[in-house]
Amino acid sequence: MADGGELGRTVRANVNGTEVSRYVANRSTLAQFLRDDLGLTGTKVSCELQVCGVCSVLVDGSPVSACTYLAVDIDGRKVETVEGLADGDTLHPLQQAFVEEFALQCGFCTPGFLMMSVALLRRNPDPSEEDVKEYLDGNICRCTGYRPIVEAVQLAATRMREDGHV
Amino acid sequence: MLGTFTVSRPTELGQALDLIGEESLAYWGGTELFLAMKMQLLMPGNLVDLKGIPQLREIRMSGDELVIGAGTTHDEIATDPGVRGAAGLLSSVTSRVGNSRVRAQGTIGGNLCFAEPRSDLATVLLALDAMVQLQSSSGERRLSITEFLLGPYWTAREPEELLVAVCVPIPAATGVYLKFQFTERPSVAVTAVVSDGGQPCRLAIGAVADVPALHTAESWDEFDAASIAAGIEPVPDLTGSVTYKRHLTEVLVKKAIAAVRAGERDG
Ligand SMILES: Cc1cc2nc3c(=O)[nH]c(=O)nc-3n(C[C@@H](O)[C@@H](O)[C@H](O)COP(=O)(O)OP(=O)(O)OC[C@H]3O[C@@H](n4cnc5c(N)ncnc54)[C@H](O)[C@@H]3O)c2cc1C
Ligand code: FES
Ligand code: FES
Repeated sequence: MADGGELGRTVRANVNGTEVSRYVANRSTLAQFLRDDLGLTGTKVSCELQVCGVCSVLVDGSPVSACTYLAVDIDGRKVETVEGLADGDTLHPLQQAFVEEFALQCGFCTPGFLMMSVALLRRNPDPSEEDVKEYLDGNICRCTGYRPIVEAVQLAATRMREDGHV
Repeated sequence: MLGTFTVSRPTELGQALDLIGEESLAYWGGTELFLAMKMQLLMPGNLVDLKGIPQLREIRMSGDELVIGAGTTHDEIATDPGVRGAAGLLSSVTSRVGNSRVRAQGTIGGNLCFAEPRSDLATVLLALDAMVQLQSSSGERRLSITEFLLGPYWTAREPEELLVAVCVPIPAATGVYLKFQFTERPSVAVTAVVSDGGQPCRLAIGAVADVPALHTAESWDEFDAASIAAGIEPVPDLTGSVTYKRHLTEVLVKKAIAAVRAGERDG
């Protein structure tokens, strides 16, 4: 079972499709690990209280606040961050819709909104305006206002349903 | 910043029971525990990750009870068809806890064991007459929510016990759950339910005082919102004073009773 007694462990995880194996301290948050160890700085950190959502990433498809999640807990799991969304130079439909709908200004909140929107559309490919608002309720934007964000998510949903994007 | 600690990852309940203790705390989502550790309110030397124990996340019917494993997340409870059918009010309340990440990671067991006074689950489970099942390497026991919750951040759980399941009697009481909330957690929550067994009219008031309170009666006519509100001891905080929260409580009690009498049902 367990390897108690140590202050860290070697984690093996799949991060955005790449197998990663690193020694990480138990006290490291997933946000620290992604940013400082893997250089994936798309994931932001702000409140560190699971309130603002800028650190949202997916672990085995489930949304987590990486600011309050142990990096050692990704061992054996699959992690998705904003860096994994685009396919080369082709933006993910959500990213494309955010650009077209002006759903960002400074962009600090955007990676979190995108990852939560990915999680939402996987469980509900045709969300109503109310569904989007409810699911993204734990993400805060200080620039744009939320209307363009909701519109972008619904635009992306429509396009993804049409072209069978997953 | 978290302090230093070791982490154990048991894969069976028996192993976890051997590991848990005063200095060795269980965690599941960590949505409460890691915040407390960042603020150095808790500084355990070892953490026991319960996520590797599948039996703790089962939802099943057992006789006249709905048994929900302690490691079931809010989201899993909210979307489970069995829970929705047997205890719709619980589905509805879990679908409205915190935000989508907290619902995806936070568990029913973690919620109850942390005993944060503004817990939604404590309030609704009190109204539904639920029992918690505790287990240690030397045995098992069952407690009502009232017996389990002793005060803010304080439960009857011994350090070497794990909460393994929450048992809701079925058919579960049905009713409405109203909360007044403009921050992350409710300032006042009131639930009014009608139940088949015992006293038919049950009213639970949570989030506002140290622990949730239950009032029961034969008929809704017997409840007086003003005296119920006068009888609670609200905890003043940034969301309101004692007077204000008493007022809110009175209003929500009236609204909840009116709604349940009008036949409204959540979930
Ligand atoms: C932004 C935010 C908003 C929130 N809003 C709400 C809300 O609206 N309503 C609400 O009710 N709650 C709310 N919460 C609280 C939320 O954290 C809990 O509902 C959650 O369910 C806790 O579960 P966990 O698995 O993350 O617990 P953990 O943090 O993993 O554990 C909490 C505590 O319980 C102990 N523990 C955990 N599981 C067991 C077990 N099986 N046996 C013994 N001990 C155990 C741990 O040692 C720890 O001390 C909110 C939290 C946040 C961060
Ligand atoms: S930084 Fe994680 S939720 Fe705000
Ligand atoms: S675009 Fe600046 S915070 Fe959202």
